[in-house]
Amino acid sequence: MDLLTWTGALGPILNPLMLAAVAVFLLGLIGNFVLTLAGQQAGEVQINADHTLTINRTPVDYALMAMKYAVLLFLACCLAYIIGGLVQSDPMDQGILGAMGRRFLPVWIALIVLFALSITFKRKLGLYGKLFDSLIGMIGFGLVMFWMFTAIFAGTIITFGPIDVISQMRNEVPGTPLPNPDDGAYLYYLLGGDNLGRDVFSRMVMGAREVLKIAPAATLFAFMVGITLGLPAGYFGGKLDTVLTFIANLVLAFPVILLFYLLVTPEIVDAGIPTYMAAVLFLFPIIFFVVLFNSRYHTQPTKRLAYIAISLVIGFWLYSGLAFNADPLGLISMPGNILIVFVSVVFVNSPTVFRIVRGIVLDIKTRDYVAAGQTRGEGPWYIMLWEILPNARGPLIVDFCLRIGYTTILLGTLGFFGLGVSPESPDWGSTINEGRRLLTIYPHPALPPALALMSLVLGLNLLADGLREESLKD
Amino acid sequence: MGLFILRRFGVMILTALCLTFVVFFLTNLYPNLEKLAKTQGNARMTDAEVASWLDRNGYGGPLIVRYGEWLGVVPGWTREGADGEVTGRCIDAATPAEEAPTFCGLLQGDLGYSTVSDDEVSNIIGGRLALTGVLMFWAFAVMVPAALIIGVLAGMKEGSRLDRSLSTVSIASTATPEYVSGVIFIVLLASSTAGISPWLSEMGWIEGRTLFLGSARSAMDDVTFWNFTLPVMTIALYGMGYIARMTRASMAEVMTAQYIRTARLKGVSFRNIVLKHALRNALIAPFTVIMLQFPWLLTGVVIVETLFNYNGFGWTLVQAASNNDIELLLACSIVAVFVVLVTQLISDIGYVFLNPRIRIS
Amino acid sequence: MTDTQHRGLTTHPVAEMYAQEYKDGKLSRREFLVRSTALGVSAAAAYSLIGATPVAAEAHRATPPMGGTLRIQMEVRALKDPRTYDWSQMANVSRGILEYLIEYNADGSFNGVLLDSWEANEDATQYTLRLREGVKWNNGDDFTAEDVAANFIGWCDSTVEGNSMAARMGGLVDPDTGVAREGAIEVVDPLTVRITYPAPDITLVPGIADYPSAVQHRDLIGTNPLDHGVGTGAYRITDYEVGVQARLEKNPDHEYWGNTYLDEVIFIDLGQDPAAWFAGAEADEFDMTYETVGEFIDLFSAIGWTQSEVTTAATVVIRPNQNSEPYDNQMVRKAIQMAVDPQVCLDLGINGQGTLGEHHHVCPIHPEYAELPPLTVDPDAAYAMLQESGHADHVFEIVSIDDDYRRNTTDAVAAQLRDAGFNVERTVIPGSTFWNDWTTYPFSSTNWNHRELGVIIYNLAYRSGVAWNEFGYANPEFDALLDQANGILDAEARSEVMAQLESILQEDAVTLQPYWRSLFRHHKPEVINADMHPKFEINIHYLGIEA
Repeated sequence: MDLLTWTGALGPILNPLMLAAVAVFLLGLIGNFVLTLAGQQAGEVQINADHTLTINRTPVDYALMAMKYAVLLFLACCLAYIIGGLVQSDPMDQGILGAMGRRFLPVWIALIVLFALSITFKRKLGLYGKLFDSLIGMIGFGLVMFWMFTAIFAGTIITFGPIDVISQMRNEVPGTPLPNPDDGAYLYYLLGGDNLGRDVFSRMVMGAREVLKIAPAATLFAFMVGITLGLPAGYFGGKLDTVLTFIANLVLAFPVILLFYLLVTPEIVDAGIPTYMAAVLFLFPIIFFVVLFNSRYHTQPTKRLAYIAISLVIGFWLYSGLAFNADPLGLISMPGNILIVFVSVVFVNSPTVFRIVRGIVLDIKTRDYVAAGQTRGEGPWYIMLWEILPNARGPLIVDFCLRIGYTTILLGTLGFFGLGVSPESPDWGSTINEGRRLLTIYPHPALPPALALMSLVLGLNLLADGLREESLKD
Repeated sequence: MGLFILRRFGVMILTALCLTFVVFFLTNLYPNLEKLAKTQGNARMTDAEVASWLDRNGYGGPLIVRYGEWLGVVPGWTREGADGEVTGRCIDAATPAEEAPTFCGLLQGDLGYSTVSDDEVSNIIGGRLALTGVLMFWAFAVMVPAALIIGVLAGMKEGSRLDRSLSTVSIASTATPEYVSGVIFIVLLASSTAGISPWLSEMGWIEGRTLFLGSARSAMDDVTFWNFTLPVMTIALYGMGYIARMTRASMAEVMTAQYIRTARLKGVSFRNIVLKHALRNALIAPFTVIMLQFPWLLTGVVIVETLFNYNGFGWTLVQAASNNDIELLLACSIVAVFVVLVTQLISDIGYVFLNPRIRIS
Repeated sequence: MTDTQHRGLTTHPVAEMYAQEYKDGKLSRREFLVRSTALGVSAAAAYSLIGATPVAAEAHRATPPMGGTLRIQMEVRALKDPRTYDWSQMANVSRGILEYLIEYNADGSFNGVLLDSWEANEDATQYTLRLREGVKWNNGDDFTAEDVAANFIGWCDSTVEGNSMAARMGGLVDPDTGVAREGAIEVVDPLTVRITYPAPDITLVPGIADYPSAVQHRDLIGTNPLDHGVGTGAYRITDYEVGVQARLEKNPDHEYWGNTYLDEVIFIDLGQDPAAWFAGAEADEFDMTYETVGEFIDLFSAIGWTQSEVTTAATVVIRPNQNSEPYDNQMVRKAIQMAVDPQVCLDLGINGQGTLGEHHHVCPIHPEYAELPPLTVDPDAAYAMLQESGHADHVFEIVSIDDDYRRNTTDAVAAQLRDAGFNVERTVIPGSTFWNDWTTYPFSSTNWNHRELGVIIYNLAYRSGVAWNEFGYANPEFDALLDQANGILDAEARSEVMAQLESILQEDAVTLQPYWRSLFRHHKPEVINADMHPKFEINIHYLGIEA
């Protein structure tokens, strides 16, 4: 069997088109630049006396239009490849791009359904709905959800197991057919093999699952810790604030990389430090929920008791499993090396969240509705959790998105230094680090995880940007 | 103002004390000491031998006392061996027991001894810091002007096409950590088998095998454009986006201010508004951000120095941490913490000085 | 280089016997050379015994032009008492000042450096060492038999922490006191030393040619050469920064006994990542590698560097430690052995650059190698055996160091075990911490360097209770046979005992030992005499560079 081409049967038609699109785009860019330097300006809209609009198109406008259509053409070609992959059945015709597009079919369906529903009902969906008014936000959300669905459907997308080794396939280039495939096995390594003969494509896809398993959860924990401590620090002020702020600044003054090198080592795991840290840090979510329900329902004893009991039971069940690996039901556990990574990431992130929350509380607590609550005789925790927090959600959600991206980068850094992750783990940081060794000869194992990580973080940042823009419009 | 600086200074000392104690505590946990004993003595020591080795080499006392010794507020340990030979913290080949000082810690300017390098920490760390200083200087020299230009151009007309494209560029740059951009740069520009170098070499446009060098080791002796571009670009790229976004936000805010509107209405040209009125006020916020970038860059420095084999401070930190070279690691953290705190102080003071709206009585 | 030409015995009764064996085709030329030169017969004489042209190592060595600076990529580790050296890299730097009595050549022969000649008596219990005349220490003292005797006493001192020479001295060490046996080391005259063993021992010569046996001044035994700089070599260390570089230059105040060429040698440390070495080579940061591994072998050749290869008995063992559950069960170990195909390890681990091993750690290039029937690989039977042993649910955690070929080989083993149905987990530990516990990991991989004789390896690693016995292996029957083999000078007879030892190791499934490595080194074409050495030795006295 032959090597797959990147573009398959559609290549001869679409490749020249794509090239042309790129060329036009570059020409447009240069033209635009030169014309602007030469003092030309884009045409302005004029309102005529008969209430019609005229646009005086200048050469700059034409250059910009050319660029716009070039981008659209390029995107259309990409779409064509994916659709080509879906409708053609022979991998040779699909090409690598088409075949990958076909593997991602569940993701495309999920994305289309999600976007169709969201756009239809966007007026009823609050801030989330408004996201679909901003192009940047939509692109970001699309990228994030792409990887999210990839993580969810990873099991059906992958073509091989992430740690399956086929020794003849080591370092083979993208699109290499298997030498003697088993019945029913996929016939190609779509993105080639790594230095152990594992499928780069499948590892990249499974890597999404590894990353998205830890990053959002760790960020969420960091937010719980930051909010639980930041609210009282900002609201009460005084000594409590001074002490907490000092501690937060202390952690922030620690260079992240030094902290990781000190914390994420087998010796520290031996000494039990991660368990102690987890014991402290994982307590905050429980406190958060207990206080949350307690303050809300303290006038309704039955409801209050029920909610608190539920959060205590679920909380301590998770707590014993995650922090001490002692889940009485034996369902939840976290291996030591993942725990230390998780705890370190939470530890690094929570002081920043604390500072943000504290700052917002300092601002909001002077508002009238807070004073009104105080006059009504509401307890301080009720005011913090049910008056202040909901009003602080905008900036917090934006920061949450940014912070997941930052956490992803941190996890990659850990993987890059080989700290804490298990050696065969397909997570992107470790695969980049492994691929980097042979980078100058075989770039194909390192580039897919690198680009994947970049696109996920980019998506999160764009999403945050879109959310910020839309929430500012309120 | 004096009191403000004094108080900041006090907090800074307290922070430094706490942080070094944490580092001291973590590096002196028993499993780490055991590892140290086994690397320094013999990989196959029994538990009893480890304990006696630790005791013999001054790791036996209570943690807090040893921390005091390291600081130089508790007398350094001494110990008389079975053969009457006196060993001690302050005693080495150059200073025999009789002449040795009682205290030898940080306060006396003694940073201790690096077990892996077999040398005084102070001999090691100075040169490494200078190397990193050079790297940082060039990274800042590239990053700050580029970021400010992008930020100002983008913030000039908020929502314009220029703003959109530049903002996307800066978002993309913050989404590209050093270990991704470094890898891509090396493939594209510094590999003799991939990227553009083989092509350039074939065309006879470059003399060497690659356009840029993928290893910055030669830059330790002699910085050239070819051996330093990639490390500097890799560091600068990641930090640039963040500063650019801050500048843009600040610029955009200034551009909506009353006095700018007034100037516009008075018919001042756009170019003059930007250059003469808006720019100075727009740069206050980025200044603090730039100062706070120093500690943030440290991670980048560590990654880049590892990736490009540049034996500077970041590289030393990795070596010290992975070999549990306690006193070298402590010295590294002192430097790191010092940099963080000093830049915070400068950014605070600078903010006060630059911002006409804040006056401290 | 006529003055380094070693003038040894012209013949020896046992050597003549070996020569006959060689002519009968029972010995390879290499085996013959190793054995007869170990007895004190000079390489040239050994060649003449078998009627071949003398092609001693020196004859291969070109005479480089004088002067020049050479940059060598090599890890620069902290130096210490040479007896306690645990890395050949340390010796490569200190070899510029501290020389050796005897050196081992890439062709398997030995020749004298500080020794002019040596000879063994017929039953290999007594060795007479004759020193080279006219050798001076760089502090002005003469090099005498007192120096040699003092060094032997130092090497035999097993009370010194980490003195690996004590194990190489074997019978010279008194097991009761832990130091040299009374009367074992005799100074006969200022240029002659006699060594007497209580029982026959054939490992003396390889032992004192090994890298921790650097010869120190008689008053400086047990010190770090970096601190005093006293030695017989032609160089001096001017700059030593651990992890960064070491610089040596020709010592102008010292008259060296031999010839040497380079003015300056710089060892450059680029860390443990071969990718960084290659990047350094592309950036023209050094002229010669210490060792080239894996994919990088082809790469260095592709950028026009000269490749030098040597076949060795260097290997990797992936071994369970029998002191830990469930590896105390022979069936579990056997199951592991049956599930792993050495060919796959060879292909994936070192790119096929080597030869297949037989899980008993004696290499066909060893003189006493005995061929055994081939082993079978049968993953299904292996899993059946594992189930039978009752440990099918056990999660096998395999530890390896974080570096190219050791890690890849261990990954290959893990993958094959997984294919066979084992539950396998992998742990990778960075090089800086890996060696802290290397003998006690329950299941891990270790690289073993080339040794001259099969019995040397068995004495070092497989005898019950020895320091480097990472297998937790204790078998009195094996020990007894090994004692027997140690005393047999005749290789034919020894290889019969060896066959039993080898099959005991296979039967007990002590370790996986899938392949023997070929070692590679690359240097720029203008570098002279930089050929790879089976034990990674670099003798900077021989090196040169074309202008």
